[in-house]
Amino acid sequence: MIIDKEECTGCEACHPYCTVGAITTVEWEGKSVSEVNQEECVECGVCLRSEVCPTDAIFMPELEWPRSIRAAFSNPLIPHRITGIGGRGTEEMKTNDVTGRFRLGVAGVPVEMGRPGVGTTFRDLQTVSMALAKVGVEFEPQNPVTAIMVDTKTGKINEDILDEKALSAIIEFTVDNDRLKEALKTLKEVSAQINTVFSVGLISRVGGDGTIPTVAIAKDAGFSPRPNTKTNVGLGKPLMKEV
Amino acid sequence: MTHTLHRRGDIESLSEDYVMLIMPARGVNFDGSEEKMRQIWEVISHYEGELPNFGNASNGNSHRTTMEVLKKATSMIAHAVFKDRETLKACLKELKERDFGISVVISGLYEDVERLCTEVGLSPHTVEHSLGIHGKTERLPDENVLEISTMCGHAMVSPNLVTHLVAEIDEGKISCEEAAKDLSRMCDCGIFNPYRAERLLRKMTSGA
Repeated sequence: MIIDKEECTGCEACHPYCTVGAITTVEWEGKSVSEVNQEECVECGVCLRSEVCPTDAIFMPELEWPRSIRAAFSNPLIPHRITGIGGRGTEEMKTNDVTGRFRLGVAGVPVEMGRPGVGTTFRDLQTVSMALAKVGVEFEPQNPVTAIMVDTKTGKINEDILDEKALSAIIEFTVDNDRLKEALKTLKEVSAQINTVFSVGLISRVGGDGTIPTVAIAKDAGFSPRPNTKTNVGLGKPLMKEV
Repeated sequence: MTHTLHRRGDIESLSEDYVMLIMPARGVNFDGSEEKMRQIWEVISHYEGELPNFGNASNGNSHRTTMEVLKKATSMIAHAVFKDRETLKACLKELKERDFGISVVISGLYEDVERLCTEVGLSPHTVEHSLGIHGKTERLPDENVLEISTMCGHAMVSPNLVTHLVAEIDEGKISCEEAAKDLSRMCDCGIFNPYRAERLLRKMTSGA
């Protein structure tokens, strides 16, 4: 995002809306104006959509590669080329009752790098994806992060974008329940090697008796599942069939 | 797209915060679902007076669009925010009876959602748990700010905006209700719960 210094009145109304605190006041040609720190800006577009600028001084320039990757991952109104949907991930468990992406005995794990609200570089993301690749997880082919991997066996990310930043990006993978603990422990270990945060989800088919075996595995790996979840209530048709 | 999952807060506060998400699956029942989605919006509209928010990223949240628009629009994702279990139950029951065949996901306290499913004759099919935040957590804002900002899973609600509005409330420049609305309008998908935000802001401030 750019603020036109000619138009800016220096009122600072846009500052609190910036999701990563990248807007500051600077002195320019004898007046105080707002400026977007281009290194920190993740191109989410919130400052523009806030519509608080009294002079319409905020605008989004045409973004060239690799900077354009910032908007693709940060602005949910821009659909990803791979998924065809806005947002940062996939349909994952939301349509699992009909797609059957996650079956009994298999866990899905979305690791949202930079969430909540801290942001991430793709270099930090690569640190995590490469650690997970060593465990032999299967990265979700429809996920936009998988699409920027140059090798899904190693989790290595396209070098062009390693120093670009996004508000968040989701590493999404599946792993058999019997190897879930190892994958989760790897996440714990690698969390000490990055300069950001990540939020972890755990997707599981509910057993016929109502049990969710992955919860005990997560606790055993040192995680504390929160009481609030996302629950697919099984109203989709045709309902998936377990093989 | 786990945008309704990682909401923070205690049980009491989360018991006023449920998000229903409805969408067809690409490659399965997506094509030809436009009319069903319009009918689904019609069902949701029966509860409009009790909904703190609704919408989707394409058509906008309840601050930018209306039920009348959504009932006629081509929208392939529907979000509706509920502040009480009874309204959520009534809406889910009606959706089950109408049998649209479109996937429905409810975010909220699992014990409540599981019980609600039993009450309307459903069984949870797939569950996603939040395993929390890890890494450099010292970079996070205060927990009470996070409780509000995480209600937009895409992080369009800036923690700095929460802090700024808290200061404005304390200075008497804005009410908690107005602040909650300003926060809510930034969440494009319509999943932010301004009802809950207002109550949290009251706890954080001396404002009315």
